[in-house]
Amino acid sequence: MAGDRKDVPTIDSAELKELTDKLITSCHILDHEGITDGYGHVAVRVPGAEAFITIANISPGSVTRDRLIMQDFAGNHLDGATTPPNEWPIHACILKARPEIVSVAHTHSKWSTIFSVLPVKLKPLHHYGKFLSADGPPVYEGVGLVRTIERGNDLAAALGDGPAVLMRAHGDAVVGESIEQMIERTTRLAMLGEWNHLALLHGQPKYLSAEELEVYNADQKFPLRGWEYFIDRLRRARTRME
Amino acid sequence: MAAGDYKGPAFDSSELQELKAKVINACLILDREGITDGFGHVSARIPEQAALLTIAQVSPGCAALDKLVLLDFDGNYLGGAKPAPYEWPIHACIMRARPDVMSVCHTHSKWSALFSVLKKGLRPAHMYGRFLPVGGAPIYPDAGLITSVERGNALAVTLKDGAATLLRAHGDAVVGASVEQAILRTVQLAFLGELAHLAAVHGGPDYLTEAELATFAGDRSFPARPWEYFLSRLGERRVA
Repeated sequence: MAGDRKDVPTIDSAELKELTDKLITSCHILDHEGITDGYGHVAVRVPGAEAFITIANISPGSVTRDRLIMQDFAGNHLDGATTPPNEWPIHACILKARPEIVSVAHTHSKWSTIFSVLPVKLKPLHHYGKFLSADGPPVYEGVGLVRTIERGNDLAAALGDGPAVLMRAHGDAVVGESIEQMIERTTRLAMLGEWNHLALLHGQPKYLSAEELEVYNADQKFPLRGWEYFIDRLRRARTRME
Repeated sequence: MAAGDYKGPAFDSSELQELKAKVINACLILDREGITDGFGHVSARIPEQAALLTIAQVSPGCAALDKLVLLDFDGNYLGGAKPAPYEWPIHACIMRARPDVMSVCHTHSKWSALFSVLKKGLRPAHMYGRFLPVGGAPIYPDAGLITSVERGNALAVTLKDGAATLLRAHGDAVVGASVEQAILRTVQLAFLGELAHLAAVHGGPDYLTEAELATFAGDRSFPARPWEYFLSRLGERRVA
């Protein structure tokens, strides 16, 4: 069944140009920063609509404008490329459950995956982890791809009102109130995972307490700094390549 | 100190040109060598002034001439880009407490962040660690950003007369008698951290003793050598 696209702007409309440009850039950043491999996707909510734009069955590192797809929250095709990612319900169900969220990333980040299968938790031991709770992100236990609305809703329930959820033997889903915040959180979650791994080889690290995490909120203040830096790194990588 | 008390060279004066280029290259080096991510900053004291030059809320890897700011030790704005970095007291308070320090680097170096949350500390297992005490770099214990003079002074107390301090769950602050020395120490501190980590995986290194550390002073003699090398690795990013 085709979706009702009344009042929804097209992917190539001027009003969505900035968001779709950022969406493509965010995919390239996740690839360049070593978070995604051939899989994973990023979605952005279409402002004011029950719809989102994501990438259509292509690696984040390879995405181009003609590979964007718009769907409604029931998975109906609204615009753009015609092969939705298998796991579109990750985006649809989280965006539906969390009206404040603008962007969702789903990756197979090495560091999220490792902590998704360990008895120890990935917990904040650096203030980059300010966006997490002191006991770290929850783990969605359902193994396998999230290809149905039922599983998407289970994942959204596991995420709760948090910023990130690990997916057992799979990866993670990370949300943000902007694409920039989603990128900051996804990259920092990977960094924290690596640092947790390194620290745990030495025994028990001294994690930040809930009170200490309250001291400041770097996550809210600085998403643009990382964004600007990652774009600069992309630009330099491309200059070397060309 | 009021902003009008500054009698040193103006931000746009040709006198500061060389120092500006040095601070920018220092920032780019820390990025190129994989020490900084989107955050951190390098400062240089304005000779014989209670003032410093640093980068204004930009990633060290994106440092440029139009991103520098001149501040006095009370954080008063004296010229250049705005706004000042939130953690300017790291630089101002350390320089005020330590007249010998001409440059301060603050980074979120992975290896400093790691050892800042471990019990055993970051101790020298290589002669590069000549600038560290045998028991390892001190750790500033408070979590959070250093955005006040009070916290900056507490950090300077932890650093004392040393070359480097780790900041718990945060990173490090490293000082030098020149920008070149501060950069060399910052890079070497990361090297020492990685080395100590790798060795710990094997059961722990045979750390250098106090007497052994005293047998050479590579830290003081050769900062020009790696500086030249680090500059060459910047390629076209280097500013003249």
